[in-house]
Amino acid sequence: MTTALSWIKADETAKEALVRILTERPLVVLPPPLHRLPLRVGNIVELVGPSPSAKTLILIQAAINCILPKEWKGVQYGGLERAVFFVDLDCRLDVLSVSRALERRIIEANGSSMKRNGNEYEKELFEACMRRFLYTRCYNSFEFLATLKTLHYQLQKDKKNQGSAAYMLIIDSIGAFYWMDRALPSSSTGSNNRKILSLQTVAESIVREIQRLLLVHPMLVLAAKSAAFGDKQSATEVIRHSGKRTDEKSSDSRGPRSLPHRDYMPSVWQSFVSHRVLLRASDGENKHQNHPTFFTEWLSPPLNFSDSYTINDDGLLVIL
Amino acid sequence: MSPLEVLERDYPLIDSSFRMFCASHGIFTVQDFLVHDLYELEAFAERDYAQDKLKQGIAQMVSKIESQRRPWLNGLELLEDSQINKGTLSTGCERIDVLLQGGLREGHVTELVGPSSSGKTQICLKAASNVSRKYSGTVMYFDTGNSFSAKRIAQFLSQPSDPADIEVNKTVQRVMSSIVCHSIFDIFTLLDMLHQLMNNLKSQIGCQVRMLIIDSLSSLIAPILGGGGAHGHSLMLTAGFLLKELAHEHNLSVVVTNHMVAGEAGISKPALGESWKSIPHVRLLLSRYNAINGSCISILKHPYLAAGKTTEFMVR
Repeated sequence: MTTALSWIKADETAKEALVRILTERPLVVLPPPLHRLPLRVGNIVELVGPSPSAKTLILIQAAINCILPKEWKGVQYGGLERAVFFVDLDCRLDVLSVSRALERRIIEANGSSMKRNGNEYEKELFEACMRRFLYTRCYNSFEFLATLKTLHYQLQKDKKNQGSAAYMLIIDSIGAFYWMDRALPSSSTGSNNRKILSLQTVAESIVREIQRLLLVHPMLVLAAKSAAFGDKQSATEVIRHSGKRTDEKSSDSRGPRSLPHRDYMPSVWQSFVSHRVLLRASDGENKHQNHPTFFTEWLSPPLNFSDSYTINDDGLLVIL
Repeated sequence: MSPLEVLERDYPLIDSSFRMFCASHGIFTVQDFLVHDLYELEAFAERDYAQDKLKQGIAQMVSKIESQRRPWLNGLELLEDSQINKGTLSTGCERIDVLLQGGLREGHVTELVGPSSSGKTQICLKAASNVSRKYSGTVMYFDTGNSFSAKRIAQFLSQPSDPADIEVNKTVQRVMSSIVCHSIFDIFTLLDMLHQLMNNLKSQIGCQVRMLIIDSLSSLIAPILGGGGAHGHSLMLTAGFLLKELAHEHNLSVVVTNHMVAGEAGISKPALGESWKSIPHVRLLLSRYNAINGSCISILKHPYLAAGKTTEFMVR
């Protein structure tokens, strides 16, 4: 009786609950160009864009925001001090691109507050941050599935080591094995209830594993996806479009294009994504100091904001 | 596709009764197990009279998967690996080395794309001669168009001095013996060779390999693309991922070349197009600059250097 009563009894006011939720599941504003919407754990954010459109760079910037502390010895870094799990399906992340970007951020933050401290303790911060960046790579879909199936243990282990749970799961890029999975040998012989290994079943398992994982370990999932490949039909559409572009150019060079975004991933993944941002290259005319410029388009939720950005000589993303 | 039977030797719990249980759910191989919902499987196992044994079997399968997947490394461990194992290899062209901050990186797949006579093969030959002269280990050269020229390499090596010099002859001998050239004329032979190279490196048969050059990769792959099927693309990406695995896991610098074909409206485009773009770490565009052997090289894509940087060079 008493246990039932204590269960019914309110043990938390709304304020306490809000405080708890905001500390457990803080809203986070990612660095531009993803700063338009506050995101929180449980969101699945997909970045779609051609190569090159700085997808990996945006992911790295987001990761750095997560691994940096909010404050370190009096200097504001504005980070979350939480771990990031980076699953590299493209298998080409160079750790130097992460370390150089992190160093630059640390130096920048120190420079703005005019508190130049010795290299040594920046190094300490750098090492603490790099330790929160966890990385693995997968060379095919089955390695990816094996990674997801065992990620649970890894997250627990990491939670014990770091003292706080991981905040972000980054997948770069989700469509990497599309063609390989499409050509999987269909060995449907034998038992009837045997699942056919195909693009569809692999995608279903991936979504299921991530869903399972998020129930136990709430995280924000960021996934990159390269656009503009798919079947022949969409390829010809791109060609037709680029042919049309010459006379379109004069009217509007930045507005929404006639070319719709075509998704090639199985629908189970498409519907799993909660936020989708499309990255596009601007037309040749608005080059910014000889660097190609890109702009964002929020597909879901549909927003009217569009940010233009370019990559400068230092490999930094600059919002125009 | 490894069938479950093979696992019994190392994992005694995966015995015939466990395999029977798996088979009744359509699981015959490790891949089947991976696409299966484990919670569902465990729920079924609970209904069985031998539930403990089955659950232990499932746990053993998971630990087997756990032991086989690639490890999670933190940023510092990655950085250490990169500093110890992944240096840069000088190409022998000073200007290209400056552009790339030291040269071709071990662990990277570097693509040279450009029209014919823009210097792709020359860079490959120059890099092969320079790397095998300056560094230990062999250079694998996969030649798909009979463009490998030992004569040209000898010419590079004997350049500064008189070719009759005995010292030079010695280096030529040494360098020549550490460049291994294979002629490959179709994608299946290429995949075979890559698998073989991977196995050799894994079991450490033969000497260390520093560099793998495929000149040209696109002439093997371009013929199998098109036709609307997925198989051409699948083979291309399989080869691409093999190259990335070789480069990263065994610290090779991989260089591939990609020729240009006529595209729409007369503008030439790379033979390996959009879906290939996700493979190379570094893409370098070559173009002919002037008539006297001068060429231009510019960065199209690089993990940490800005795209668009250009330099002129000449391979002599």
